[in-house]
Amino acid sequence: MMWDRLVEEAPRFFTYWNLRFFVEAALTTLALSVTGSVFGALVGFVLAVTRMTRGGVLLPVRILAIVVTEFFRRVPFLVTLMLVFFVSQMSGNEWPLFAIAAMSVFLIAAAYLAEIIRSGLLSVHHNQWDAAAAMNFSLGQTIFHVILPQAWRIILPPAFGFFVLFIKDTALASQIGVTELTFAGKVLNNRGFSATLSFGTVLLFYFLLSYPLSLIGARLEARLAATRNRQS
Amino acid sequence: MNYTLQYGQVLPYLGYFAGGALLSLQIAFLSFCGGLVIGTGFASVTAFGPRPLRVLVKVYVTAFTNTPQLVQIYFLYFALPDAGILLSSYQAVLIGMTLNAGAYLTEIQRAGFLSRRQTEMEAAEVLGFSRWQQIRYVILPHIAKVLFPPLANQYILMTLGTSMAAVFGVEELTGRAFNVNAETFRSVEIFSLVAVFYVVITFAATLALALIGRLAFRARMRIL
Repeated sequence: MMWDRLVEEAPRFFTYWNLRFFVEAALTTLALSVTGSVFGALVGFVLAVTRMTRGGVLLPVRILAIVVTEFFRRVPFLVTLMLVFFVSQMSGNEWPLFAIAAMSVFLIAAAYLAEIIRSGLLSVHHNQWDAAAAMNFSLGQTIFHVILPQAWRIILPPAFGFFVLFIKDTALASQIGVTELTFAGKVLNNRGFSATLSFGTVLLFYFLLSYPLSLIGARLEARLAATRNRQS
Repeated sequence: MNYTLQYGQVLPYLGYFAGGALLSLQIAFLSFCGGLVIGTGFASVTAFGPRPLRVLVKVYVTAFTNTPQLVQIYFLYFALPDAGILLSSYQAVLIGMTLNAGAYLTEIQRAGFLSRRQTEMEAAEVLGFSRWQQIRYVILPHIAKVLFPPLANQYILMTLGTSMAAVFGVEELTGRAFNVNAETFRSVEIFSLVAVFYVVITFAATLALALIGRLAFRARMRIL
């Protein structure tokens, strides 16, 4: 009976305009995660390197980096989103909703990627750090010429995995009204289409975005792990 | 920026928030346990089971890890009534989180099961261990040590994930934040306070899990 209703409803649901609405919403979802992750990776790198510094002068900066990383890793995305939303209202200049959502993705991406990058930097054997220090390399030279060329293989697979996770996290941006995939499903549901078709299609679109990327991630992991084993 | 933060108006709700935090922890714990049961069963199937079952588990894991938990719960909550199944918001959240956790925990445990080394088994056999002794003294300690840190990590992520229950009207920590927000309109104060609540409960969980892992399984975990 339910199946008959779905079959009857499907032609009205899968129209050109509805599908186009979904595709545009999927692009918004993708744009949100890419913007957040790219800036998050840059700032995450800075946070990770900050925590590798030594010496008393930089201690406050180091503590700040730890507090920022730990805070945004331990606050749910929904709460971060609401905080950014209300802080932007409090400051008087209301940002566009997309900017608020992208900012939230950026904050959690920076925190999570900082941890991944730091684990990657720490995974390089300490002899390498000592050798660089013995050759009087500065921290920047050590990281760019010695550590990163060895660490990026370890950093890239989990970082890519988190990028795929952020795509799914952006579903919560529908709560503040960004027209991404989940919101598109809600709009069509409110317009009278059945929840099965609306949210079923949303699930399908997320799968189409996420599955190819997770396959690439799995291949990346296998290849980089293989080259690492061959070298050692 | 002419807004003065008024934390004084939010402080009376501290107890109310603490109650919400308990409900968050409860949802996380229940769905983690459910997910652990599913994950252990399905991971054993992928490691030792027949091929058709392995394919089914693979389909389940792929479907659930490649779609957002929020939309999965939306589907349970709004689409299942089309098929005549009505769930309360709490049930929908709990079932959705359990199924989602089951998929991730299957993935994690499969990796753990595969990490058992053939040489260790052979060594145990040479020493004359019985089958049960092999499981008890060689396989389980090894798997537990390897699996404990990623499982603990997943538990923390799931504690954060419970906040989406608020979307469906469950009054856990984030849900209560929305309630108080509707009463007082002290939005920034409320959500920053709730954020600190989440930092405290997840940090406490990390410390406790690291301690258990160290004492029970000799698993080394980084806290900061």
